[in-house]
Amino acid sequence: MASAGVAIGRAIRTFDPLMISYNFHIPQSETGKEVARFRASVEKSRRQLERMQAELRQSRIPESSFLVDAHLLILQDKLFVDRIVETIQDRAVNTEWAIQQVSEELYAAYDRLQDDYLRERRGDLEDIVRRMLHNLRSKSSSTLPVLPYDAVLVGKTISPSTLFELRANRVAGIVTESGSPLSHTAIVARSLGLPAVMGIHDLSDIAPGEILIVNGTRGMVICSPDPSTVREYRQRMKPTRSPLRPRDVHIPAVTQDGIRISLGTNINFSEEARSAVENGTEFIGLYRTEFDFFREGGKPSEEELMAQYSRVLKTVRPAPVTFRTIDVGSDWNSRDGSGSSLASRGLRFSLENQDVFKLQLRALFRSSRNGRMRILLPFVSTIADLDAAMDIIAGVKRDLSRHKNAFDKEVPVGVMIETPAAAHTCDLMASRVDFFCLGTNDLIQYYLVVDRSDQSAAHLYNPFHPAILRCLHQVYTLLQYSGRPVTVCGEMAADPAAAAVLLGLGFTSLSVSLSAYPRMKEAIGSLSVGRLRELAGEIMKMESPKDVEDRVRSTIA
Amino acid sequence: MIERKVIVGHRLGLHARAAARVVQLSSQYQSAISLLRDDLGNRVEADARSILSILLLAAAQGSALVVRADGTDEGEAVDCICEYLKG
Repeated sequence: MASAGVAIGRAIRTFDPLMISYNFHIPQSETGKEVARFRASVEKSRRQLERMQAELRQSRIPESSFLVDAHLLILQDKLFVDRIVETIQDRAVNTEWAIQQVSEELYAAYDRLQDDYLRERRGDLEDIVRRMLHNLRSKSSSTLPVLPYDAVLVGKTISPSTLFELRANRVAGIVTESGSPLSHTAIVARSLGLPAVMGIHDLSDIAPGEILIVNGTRGMVICSPDPSTVREYRQRMKPTRSPLRPRDVHIPAVTQDGIRISLGTNINFSEEARSAVENGTEFIGLYRTEFDFFREGGKPSEEELMAQYSRVLKTVRPAPVTFRTIDVGSDWNSRDGSGSSLASRGLRFSLENQDVFKLQLRALFRSSRNGRMRILLPFVSTIADLDAAMDIIAGVKRDLSRHKNAFDKEVPVGVMIETPAAAHTCDLMASRVDFFCLGTNDLIQYYLVVDRSDQSAAHLYNPFHPAILRCLHQVYTLLQYSGRPVTVCGEMAADPAAAAVLLGLGFTSLSVSLSAYPRMKEAIGSLSVGRLRELAGEIMKMESPKDVEDRVRSTIA
Repeated sequence: MIERKVIVGHRLGLHARAAARVVQLSSQYQSAISLLRDDLGNRVEADARSILSILLLAAAQGSALVVRADGTDEGEAVDCICEYLKG
């Protein structure tokens, strides 16, 4: 499942995945206000363009100012402006939606033209539309308008950072065409506790404003449900969050037979550190830094990153925070959620883009004295890559020392075991690093040859597959006497049955998403490691994933 | 109301810069001004003050347009626009 739980709300469609805007109906009585809002955005765009035009006229290329003339003329064009006003009034829609409707009609007209040069003029219109949508976002350009009702966000694709931006804004659930339970958008949805259904074939039939029930647990969306269904669901929507009472959250996770399990939290955004601490987390087992790194779309400065990292460290100290260096190439930033080439995933990207890698490392080390930092390298697949990364780290440290920068010289560096290659060679890596994390999401997908953005293959992804059990067992055995601690931080650790397998295999440190944290703390309290050891011996001989899973679930029930 | 036929002389036809100029010129007059093009028997009409509709005429070099003006200064308006469109 993409993200469990049930949400009821009205459908809101996202327009441009890069230029987030909402489309929704407004009350007829509000259309006057909406038209005024539209006119204000036209005015603002006009002032910006006039400034740009004045600058161009003073520049070395004054003749290029005519390009701005065309944009300014579009802003006073009846075909554009008057039609948008009419659309707002007649169809009672918000400005963003009206702009979208009118511009799409015009785009279609341009696309029908025979003349290549003129057909390309639609670019002018696209520029204006983008400028206006940007200007329509409320005062500070990074906030979105407040939604008028509980909403279900519907889109072809919704990026993890969009989702995060929307967290406080009455978004109750999400439905997307692309993405799967293993995509980063789903991971973020789960950490925000937002019910989500992904991989729906065609969403074009869902009308904005339509009531939707998102059943994330069953992977089902009900469009325009009848009132009795809504009532039934509302009753079932008893709070699923936090079975622990506030005073219980700091009690450590101990199994029935007295084994202490370290339970940490995975976070994707710096803001989540506070909630993790309030939830009673023992440490941050995985901070996926790429979401924050690329949040504003560009490259952040060293100082910005330092401020962010220092904040997280101070919030969580004295507990440690494991910062995973940026792992791009997975689906975090791609428009269609399909992900990019494996050739530049994780550490491979960092080795190819050393300026980015060094920038992040400098920011990390320079903020390291604000708490307990650990640095984790993602997607390591060869010893040579690891050595290259360690050389760069040593170089950054030398450089910082030479320039008299204060930093913690003993920051532990670790490897994320998430490729089959790393799983089988982690003993060779152990002498080079201080700790390991097991990233089961990627490990399982590469072991079982399942593409995590492909919904149709999602059923093939199975943590109970005998190959996975053997792999995990081998990693445990290879590292058992290395003196290097291992934390399991994939989704596997957040499913009580799969976590039971991990404990049975000998692992004693898990890290799970914010929303799974209370549930897992409770689940661990009901398990007995002695019993799970026996169980691990039994399931290791089984042949089918289904048998393994059934056996585990019946044992822990 | 006056109508006058004119052949577009601009090398690129009524492209962005020329269309923008037509809008600016038309805006100096009181009269309603439109450009009409015969497209395989269908008359396509564009408001001379709307850059988008002028561009959508897709009038290439050599295409025939009718300039129509209706209002107190219709004579001057048609003279001016036709003069410009000839290139």
